[in-house]
Amino acid sequence: MNRPDPNIDELLSSFIDGELTDSQRADVERLIAYNPQVAQRLQQFQKIKMMVSSLPHVKSPREMVERIKASLAAEALSAEQPIYLDERKGMRQLLLRRVVAVAAMIALVAILGGVVYSILVPETAFERATMTAADVESLSDITTTVVFSGRLELKAGALPAVDAFINRAIEDNGLSDYVTKTAQPSNRLYSLNCSRGDLNSLLADLQGIWQRFGSTTLYVDTERFNVPVVVNAVTAEQTAEIINQDNPEKSIEAAKDFAILNNMAELMPGRQISAAIDNKGVDLIPIPKPVLTGGDRKKTEKTVTPESKRDVSLTIVVVGSE
Amino acid sequence: MHAEMAQVDIADAILVERCKRGDSAAMERLILKYQNRIYNVILKMCTNPHDAAELTQETFVKIIQSIAKFESKSSFYTWAFRIAVNLTLNFCQRNARFELRSLNSGDCGRSREGTQALSELLSDDSSPDPEKMAQNKELCEIAVQSLMKLDDEQRAVIILRDIEGMNYAQIADVLQVKLGTVRSRLSRARSRLREIMEAML
Repeated sequence: MNRPDPNIDELLSSFIDGELTDSQRADVERLIAYNPQVAQRLQQFQKIKMMVSSLPHVKSPREMVERIKASLAAEALSAEQPIYLDERKGMRQLLLRRVVAVAAMIALVAILGGVVYSILVPETAFERATMTAADVESLSDITTTVVFSGRLELKAGALPAVDAFINRAIEDNGLSDYVTKTAQPSNRLYSLNCSRGDLNSLLADLQGIWQRFGSTTLYVDTERFNVPVVVNAVTAEQTAEIINQDNPEKSIEAAKDFAILNNMAELMPGRQISAAIDNKGVDLIPIPKPVLTGGDRKKTEKTVTPESKRDVSLTIVVVGSE
Repeated sequence: MHAEMAQVDIADAILVERCKRGDSAAMERLILKYQNRIYNVILKMCTNPHDAAELTQETFVKIIQSIAKFESKSSFYTWAFRIAVNLTLNFCQRNARFELRSLNSGDCGRSREGTQALSELLSDDSSPDPEKMAQNKELCEIAVQSLMKLDDEQRAVIILRDIEGMNYAQIADVLQVKLGTVRSRLSRARSRLREIMEAML
């Protein structure tokens, strides 16, 4: 065949795709019948089309939906990250905070008494919880072997994004079998009954998004002592340290310590103690931080935790912001 | 066939509206419905499964983030594939590794059996059996290598037509070109594929 005519090629290509009008189709059929070279060219195109269309159809990776959700969650969270464009402005703010810190120390003693009182008032603390009594009852099935039980309340601006992140963290740490989840329009509940090691791994993952929570409150269950402890503005590290204590009594003591410190930091002008706790500002009061384990965001083979070792019961409640 | 399924899809319209109202279950259903087809098209365009998975993920993230702006001027189906194809074409243009792989793709992995099967196919006057062709791994490999030697636009149009099964109007909508452009681009792509395969013999 001579050099193929692009116009005829176009007609033949459209012919095999069924994209010609009836009259065009009749013209091509006549052309094929009278011109063997055109007929051969048509057959070549048909073979090419068949080769391409017979390529095997490949399915997408199984975990695609989860990957998309995690990616959306990460993007939603990063969009909320504050950006400091002017570093010098930050330095000026730091200097100002140092000055304010001195004044704050004077106010400290006066505030301390009120803080201790607020921690040890059970009714006030539980009134702030947004869960219904039925929710708590259904999710907090605490057995006598449990050495720690409590509830962690987190307020989040982007509830679906945070939900996706937590679900991913639960799955990555192989904790799906130890969690009961409940989703409501305004909140998400994750009731965990696992080992302290398991919970440490989960907290290590949550630490990455901790600063994005509007508020973080740990309610340490103290049924045996009839004195509940509420730790406001609790950090992931503090939560881990409270849970990792050798016995419930020590957990309560640690919770009280952190409650006092955090409440002081919240109430003081300049919030210097918050900076000190985060190691970002002035070292007014050095606070030892516990070491969290299992922070890597990679899925690991999880060995089944025996029931006897599942001695921690924690209900995480994520409440959407108004 | 996919093209028939992709006509104005009422189910899609309902899911899209629910998605716009923040219904995460509707969002998940849309992903489940299209993930394999979008992944398959992207994979055929870029050949690397890891890159294809990343681009598929990126496509759906972009779809979900932009769905509030989707005005139903085109179908969700073609709009979603437009995002996928644009992301993949941009990726192909950026990625130097891809260019290198594309240039070398015809020189590796072609067996004597493959060359023989191709020779028989091109010289044989009879119509080949599509099932037998699909089972012939050597011919499949040659088809992939030949596709990679096409330029990006030609590869996109032929994959949308012969693999995804879109009609010309849908391809025009995805690529945002005129119907005549689809017609001529497809014809040139098939002609070029024929030349590439003949050169392999």
